[in-house]
Amino acid sequence: MKLAVTTRGRWWPALCGTITVSILASYLLLIASNWIYLGWSDTVYFFSKTRMWERFWLTVWTSTVSTFFSLLIGIPAGYALSRFRFPLRHFVASVIDLPIVVSPAVVGAFLFGITTRFPFDWISEHYGLYIGRNVYGVLLVQFTVTAAFCARLMKASFDMIPVRFESVSRSLGASPLRTFFKVVLPMAKNGIIASMIVVWARAAAEWEGLMLFVGATEGKTDIMPFAIYLDWNSGMMGWVTSMSIVCILMAVSAISAMRIIGGKSNVW
Amino acid sequence: MKSKKIFIFSLIFSSLFLITHAFAGEKRLLFHAGLGQRGALNEVKDVFEKKYPDIKVNFSYKGSGYFIADITRSKQGDLFMPGEEFYLLQAVERGFLTDYNSETDIPAYFVTVIITPKGNPKNIRTIKDFAKPGVRVGLGNPRSCAIGIWHQKTFEKAGIWDKVRSNATMSAKCIPELGNATQHRAIDGTIVWATTAVLYLRDVEIIPIEHKYRGIIRLPVGVLRFARYREEAQQLMDFILSGEGRNIFHRHAYAVNKVIPVDKQGFCLDDTTDKDMRFLVNAAKAVKNKSYPVNEKTVGPLIGEVLRQKNTKRAGD
Repeated sequence: MKLAVTTRGRWWPALCGTITVSILASYLLLIASNWIYLGWSDTVYFFSKTRMWERFWLTVWTSTVSTFFSLLIGIPAGYALSRFRFPLRHFVASVIDLPIVVSPAVVGAFLFGITTRFPFDWISEHYGLYIGRNVYGVLLVQFTVTAAFCARLMKASFDMIPVRFESVSRSLGASPLRTFFKVVLPMAKNGIIASMIVVWARAAAEWEGLMLFVGATEGKTDIMPFAIYLDWNSGMMGWVTSMSIVCILMAVSAISAMRIIGGKSNVW
Repeated sequence: MKSKKIFIFSLIFSSLFLITHAFAGEKRLLFHAGLGQRGALNEVKDVFEKKYPDIKVNFSYKGSGYFIADITRSKQGDLFMPGEEFYLLQAVERGFLTDYNSETDIPAYFVTVIITPKGNPKNIRTIKDFAKPGVRVGLGNPRSCAIGIWHQKTFEKAGIWDKVRSNATMSAKCIPELGNATQHRAIDGTIVWATTAVLYLRDVEIIPIEHKYRGIIRLPVGVLRFARYREEAQQLMDFILSGEGRNIFHRHAYAVNKVIPVDKQGFCLDDTTDKDMRFLVNAAKAVKNKSYPVNEKTVGPLIGEVLRQKNTKRAGD
């Protein structure tokens, strides 16, 4: 009886701990086994190729630009969804959420709809370029997929800030704009940083939409996940494995960077 | 205030960047091409762009099944080269290609070969061996890839389709899946194109198929009806169909003979492709065995491919 009393409930933390450790171990094993498969000399070979780093920078700059535009849309949209009460609010919120819940493949397929309409057909005539067959297509897909995601995360960040601060600021005579920039935004800073990095990672991982809408041009539109798929199709397992490792390192450093900068939201 | 300025500057900067990029326009051909042709077509692009410096080639590589939907929706593109004539005929049917000539517009052919994991554990030598009990066979799904249709055709012709189907342990959605499964010993054998087999020289054994069951698959190219640069597209197509273009395909294990005699179903009738098969088998030996001589006589046009794969343990370029 006594034994039962002293160990009562201990199994639960032990179980949780074991599960966490085994997940961690399996992830590490996954990475390690792939790295062993690649071998040291091949690691050096592939990591020193310019093709790898060209694609790396392509991924980095496209997802940075699309994250920037996503934030331009996401911050006001998230604020509006969080603070304003307007008719059909829930309906509007669910429409904005659409690109999160539908598959990116659907986004890719639907983007064809606008590229054949005004003003995009005019632009493509005038400048002699196909919207969506170059790096702008990549940006467009990334932006479309991440903007909604960004708005949703921003809403969560703004929801965490009590409305009281804004009411005080307004009652002291500050305009809504000033209140937003001087009170709300600084308070939401950590949440915004955290969301920004999640959005960036999401943009860098986008692939399905690209496959449908853009297609790959070597060195121009094949960001890393797409390049991995392409090389898998050509049996280049060396490229596949080494680029996957770079992707993992990229993700790990993005998340660590977020923690160092001090990003915090109710997701992380 | 400072942060506002930075914000505005970055906005201006990024829009300027986008605009200047947009203005840098040359004659850019949009080439819809099947993923499988990537290796050969990238080489074609390099040679062609050197020859005609004012024309640039932009590929849109996708799985062949994606193209009809893409072209139907976007009505964009100059050239079209899917992984099977079937897809091109779909485009012809819908009126996207008007001047397709099935006699002359075939720059290259796929040839079917048997591949098994290194060492050939189940000792597969002919088509009939796939019917032996206990052989794990990889088949393609005929709904999503052309190789699946050819598996069925080949084994039906040999009269062992039911037995092979009961041996099947995977139904692949695309042909590289079969290559990768063989490489990782998940299956004991399958049939793929020679162009797929050549990508896995280090990890698979290649066994040519006897003429009766050796499939020859036509790989066509065409200029789309709504091509923006019709002349330039035609130039590129002519280049692909020329001897120089065909040679590039030959280096990636395509058969490039102008005429390969085939029966009604597309199976080979004579020994036109035998030489290519011999080169392929030798190439597999050359990558596995360091002392095997690599020269024009042993591996023929596959010399570049052999050297590429000898370079690293895991294939890259």
